[in-house]
Amino acid sequence: MSTSSLRRASRAAIVEPEPTHSAAVIALPTTAASAPGANVTPRQQATPKTRKFLRRPVLLGALTPLALLALWALSSRAGLVPQLILPAPATVYDAFIALVQSGELFANLSISVQRVALGFAAGAGLGLLLGAGMGLSPRLERFLRPTFLTVAQIPVLAWIPFLMILFGIGEALKIVIIAKAALIPVTLNTLDGFRNVPRAYLEVGRIYRFNNLQILRSIMLPGALLPVFTGLRYGLTHAWHSLVVVELLASTEGLGYQMVMARQLFQLDVMIATMIVIGVIGFTLDKILAQAETSLRRRYGAAA
Amino acid sequence: MTNLGTLDIRNVNKRFQVAGDGFAAIDDLSLTVEPGEFLSLVGPSGCGKSTLLRLISGLDGDYGGEIQLGGTRISGTSLTRGLIFQEHRLFPWLTVEENIALALENSHLSASEKRASIAEHIALVGLNGFEKAYPRQLSGGMAQRAAIARGLVNRPALLLLDEPFGALDALTRAHMQEELQQIWQAEGITMVLVTHDVDEALYLGDRVVVMAPRPGRIAKIVDVDLPRPRDRTDGGFTHLKAEVLEALGEPR
Amino acid sequence: MNRFEKYLGSGVTLPLLILAAWYLGVHDGFLDPRIWASPEGVIATAREQLTDGSLYEALGASLKRDLLGVLGGTLVGLALGVGLGTVRLLDELLSPLLNGVKHIALFTWIPLMSIWLGNGELAKVTFIGFAVFLPVLLNTYQGVRSVDPRLLDVARVLKLTRTQTLRKVILPSAAPSIATGIHLALIYGWLATIGAEYLFAVAPGIGSSIMEGREQFRMDLVILGMAIIGGVGFLLNVVANRLQARVLRWQAPQ
Repeated sequence: MSTSSLRRASRAAIVEPEPTHSAAVIALPTTAASAPGANVTPRQQATPKTRKFLRRPVLLGALTPLALLALWALSSRAGLVPQLILPAPATVYDAFIALVQSGELFANLSISVQRVALGFAAGAGLGLLLGAGMGLSPRLERFLRPTFLTVAQIPVLAWIPFLMILFGIGEALKIVIIAKAALIPVTLNTLDGFRNVPRAYLEVGRIYRFNNLQILRSIMLPGALLPVFTGLRYGLTHAWHSLVVVELLASTEGLGYQMVMARQLFQLDVMIATMIVIGVIGFTLDKILAQAETSLRRRYGAAA
Repeated sequence: MTNLGTLDIRNVNKRFQVAGDGFAAIDDLSLTVEPGEFLSLVGPSGCGKSTLLRLISGLDGDYGGEIQLGGTRISGTSLTRGLIFQEHRLFPWLTVEENIALALENSHLSASEKRASIAEHIALVGLNGFEKAYPRQLSGGMAQRAAIARGLVNRPALLLLDEPFGALDALTRAHMQEELQQIWQAEGITMVLVTHDVDEALYLGDRVVVMAPRPGRIAKIVDVDLPRPRDRTDGGFTHLKAEVLEALGEPR
Repeated sequence: MNRFEKYLGSGVTLPLLILAAWYLGVHDGFLDPRIWASPEGVIATAREQLTDGSLYEALGASLKRDLLGVLGGTLVGLALGVGLGTVRLLDELLSPLLNGVKHIALFTWIPLMSIWLGNGELAKVTFIGFAVFLPVLLNTYQGVRSVDPRLLDVARVLKLTRTQTLRKVILPSAAPSIATGIHLALIYGWLATIGAEYLFAVAPGIGSSIMEGREQFRMDLVILGMAIIGGVGFLLNVVANRLQARVLRWQAPQ
């Protein structure tokens, strides 16, 4: 049975659209993912001409955000935009500093990070077990698959009210939600990774009469490393986005709650500052993991 | 098809920049191709034969010297100059028929004339029955025939062929060479064929231009004064072949 | 495979076990009946909502919102994706900004949007459109940028104009990516619809009715809502796959 249908089903399980990632996930089972690399074309090769222009896009790319920022600042100063609709950049900055100095930001941030860490650890741990188990044993896969797909098919958003009834709005709710968000991509990618370890490697193992444990340790685990890591990366991103949702909906602490409070008090400066903090953390997480994935791929790329 | 006259290549230079260094892909090359002539260009990789073809087609500009067709300098691509690539380069989302029709997008024919011309060219390359097939459903030889039909459907005065049979197996290749020759004889088109294959060059060409690399230049021009269709085992043929091979192996 | 495996090891065993545990739990008391609805209770509620039409009403309202947002977001995403993919200056000016924006968790936009656009339909549909716009844009852009330059050479040899090249070469070549983008749009649009109904002011819809169920501790309503949300997502996926297969017939292996 192909994992592509599994993957496709997993789309609906994502609480938060993550365009590039999900696009990559959805493209994986088809050959689309390899297509850009496959047609190595003159345009994609670094010809001297493109190298010369390399610096230009960076400057131009910075231009638009800077221009928007300037426009924002100027129109605030000129009184074109009421502070109640969009506070001036300086006001947002002041709000950020105030949040830092009062310790409020740090308190909320650390709560949020704790939740993600716990939920992700639980979800990813279970996902690794499930994925590896199903990848190694077709029997287990046959047994679990429909149930897993059903759970995956119902998005995190739809689980939240159900779990709110069961657990109230305490910590348990957040941990379970975040764990569920991380579980799906980790399981699917791990399953895929184990399934797609090239048969040729397994045959090498058989020639040298490896036992099951040796096969697992020296062939399956290293062979599945890359997809497993990819799964962890998606898992963490999904966990982060789910955290935001659940904190927006049902929380009395954390970054999401900070936004909800600010919304109720019409503190747009605090809201925007918090949004930026959430965005920067998401961005940083993603960049670090993408970087790690690239270096892993460079080292183990041939195995995948 | 109109006769656009002589293809005149005079003192052409083409340089590429690689890692900051310029190198001459073509160095001071001059060549004249008469209307209706079949000219073969052979040479090792890097001798500039494909580059020359791209210059004549107008795909690449920015060269030194002069390339004229019937007295006017070539600039940009033109429907009077067809180009057939080594890979068929059919559009995978279009059927054979639609791929050929795409070449007529900017012709002044009426819809019914277009239909007739497409059908005629499909028949010419022997693809009857495959009008509605997608490229992926065709064998390599069939796809290349479709590409040739696409190249011919505009009735170009000059057809440029860049190793068109390079990716085909030997049998299909021999067969396609024969067909190309028949088309050339029937339509009277000027053809310039780039190839690695000395047999192919001699079998088809009125003249064989042997090129040498670094810098890309003409090493020798061999006149093929043999009656068509030619016999590859004929003494004259093998003699010329030896001559071409010698010219190919000579300069270092 | 022995008999045991054939029957007990199959995929339906676990769901049946869960169902049985649920049923017995509610009736034999190890699940709190004040919290848990029984399986037959959920079915009864579903039947009731189907007959009095409230289910259609809620689902209709959600789907209408979804459709409007998806349509708007997809059109804007497509246009901008083609623009960024073909006009280099536009690409250089806007891509870094868009790449930054996509990292801001989608639902954090809702509080801000509620201030700018209010809490009504306009805000909801705009949010859904916004959620859809980025994946469509990114996939379109990627598709347009990865057109095989060798095919673009052919277009030049055939003397196709800019518009013809766009229509006959670039767009068909980007079609697989664009289809992926639209597939994602359908899925994200549906998620955004539910999220919008949770987080903006209450209005008729499937997301609102599930939240209402939670407030009234009506587990039957909540479970029914979950099933519907999952089911609609599933159907959207099926539809998208069909569409993709149809549009990309030329690609199918044969």
